[in-house]
Amino acid sequence: MKKPITITNILSNVLMMTFSLLTIIPLAWMILSAFKPHAHIVRHPLQPPMTWYMDNFILAWTQGHLGIYFVNSIVYSMTATVFTVLFALSSGYALSKFHYKSSRIISMFYMLGLLITVHSVIIPLFIMETNLGLANTRLGVILPYIAFGLPFQVFLSTTYIKGIPDAMQESAIIDGATFQEVFLKIIIPVATPIISTMFIYTFLGNWNEFILVLTLTSDLTVRSLPVGINSFAGGMSRDYGLQFAALVIGTVPMIIFYLIFKDKIAQGFASGAVKE
Amino acid sequence: MSYYLFLAPGLLLFASIIIFPVFYSLSLSFTSFGGYGRPVFIGLENYARIIRDEVFLHSLRNNLLIVAISVFGQIPLGFLLAYLLYRRMVRHGSLYQTMIFLPITISPVVVALLWNQIFSSSGIVVAIVRKLSGQPQYVMKIFENKQWAIFPILCVLLWMHTGTYMVIFYANLQKMVPSLLEAAQIDGASESQMLGHIIFPHMVGTIATAAIFAISGSLKAFDLIYSMTGGGPAHFTEVIAIYMYINTFKYYKYGFGSAASMIIVLLAVGLILILQYITGKLEQRFE
Repeated sequence: MKKPITITNILSNVLMMTFSLLTIIPLAWMILSAFKPHAHIVRHPLQPPMTWYMDNFILAWTQGHLGIYFVNSIVYSMTATVFTVLFALSSGYALSKFHYKSSRIISMFYMLGLLITVHSVIIPLFIMETNLGLANTRLGVILPYIAFGLPFQVFLSTTYIKGIPDAMQESAIIDGATFQEVFLKIIIPVATPIISTMFIYTFLGNWNEFILVLTLTSDLTVRSLPVGINSFAGGMSRDYGLQFAALVIGTVPMIIFYLIFKDKIAQGFASGAVKE
Repeated sequence: MSYYLFLAPGLLLFASIIIFPVFYSLSLSFTSFGGYGRPVFIGLENYARIIRDEVFLHSLRNNLLIVAISVFGQIPLGFLLAYLLYRRMVRHGSLYQTMIFLPITISPVVVALLWNQIFSSSGIVVAIVRKLSGQPQYVMKIFENKQWAIFPILCVLLWMHTGTYMVIFYANLQKMVPSLLEAAQIDGASESQMLGHIIFPHMVGTIATAAIFAISGSLKAFDLIYSMTGGGPAHFTEVIAIYMYINTFKYYKYGFGSAASMIIVLLAVGLILILQYITGKLEQRFE
């Protein structure tokens, strides 16, 4: 069925186009500016680069210590994500398949955790970590990352595992399997689709996290990319070319990540807002 | 036995890193603790001083403006875009969706510094205004105005998050039974009738949940503003989370800062309760 083109269609297209351009133009401008020397950026902000000037990237990477920050970001995001997802899955399995009375209370407990923001615990966390000698260490960043990932991921995994028929577990138990074996050999393989969503969503959140690292660390050797970029590009560098290069280094890997996983990311956000 | 084994690691971390500190923070908020020595109990004095502090009141106002732009800006716009996609009003919908959702992956710090560049005297906005108005010396002065300084930040927040709501709404619109709309169309229902009587009632729950995210997200707004302006100039763009951060980690007023962070929690809970009340009324009406 072919629909005639109406005013509504035209307006809709204009609106979509406007929003898309508003997203793309700033990013394109950022990437192009990163290839321009400082003087050219200041004098002719709208001109495209004349040559593909690479010095900004080299200097930002070395002077701005972006290499260290990059490695730290990968270590934090990967480690914390693996543990968050693993703990959330085992909790989700316990909460949905054991039918204990305490399950309801514990689930409620995690739901409350969704409302608690980092800001309401950052001061005690800082005091506790300082006293325990965890401040300024990688472990001191990873542990809170795991904890703050849990409430939402427990919710996702509980909901998903609930949908797996009890019969699958029961027949395995009758055949003599332990709960650990059921978890590893039945639940995890069946839950693969939700596990990838959980993984990607948690990774994204950890990668972009800012205030925990800002507060709990002060040595540049343990800081992550967002905090590193903020102190380098936001404060120390008056060279706009270096600033743009730092921003590009912080953005481009994530754009690639997004283009590969955008459906999974969307699924993560969308499943949070479903009211059952 | 295995039940507790499966729960233990998560619960242990959750309780010690989130639940315990919340109570710790609550108890600190009644003291004048400054980082060393023994906390001295001072009752509600921190709270009393905060609510009389003009900087706090301005931060609160900024926070409420952020709540407003999220609930009345990002959510309706996100819904509109999702609706256009769902009703196939545009071609290449998925391409548009990819572009508009993109800011979600970019760290707020990068977004902040990028928009600072855009608003700077060598940025796109200024360059365009200079070309159009013929004033080669034009610079943006909006950040120097106490009342208006927060507005560019509101625009950036709109830029960052509208796509997220679009994606959330679009995914939930697709869960509707298509035959319902087809039947209505055959019966001659207009677009606005379908929206008002079928689509909107179906989406009330999702919109309400999205609004909860928007409210709690708006009250903890920190990263973007911290990197864009640090709350300045002269506290003009400060929000409560930054107020809390500066007082705690710059002036070492741990007790005072804890009280500010408790106010964030109370505000979030209060606004969410109001929202639930309104949603309850709306759902009653549609039943």
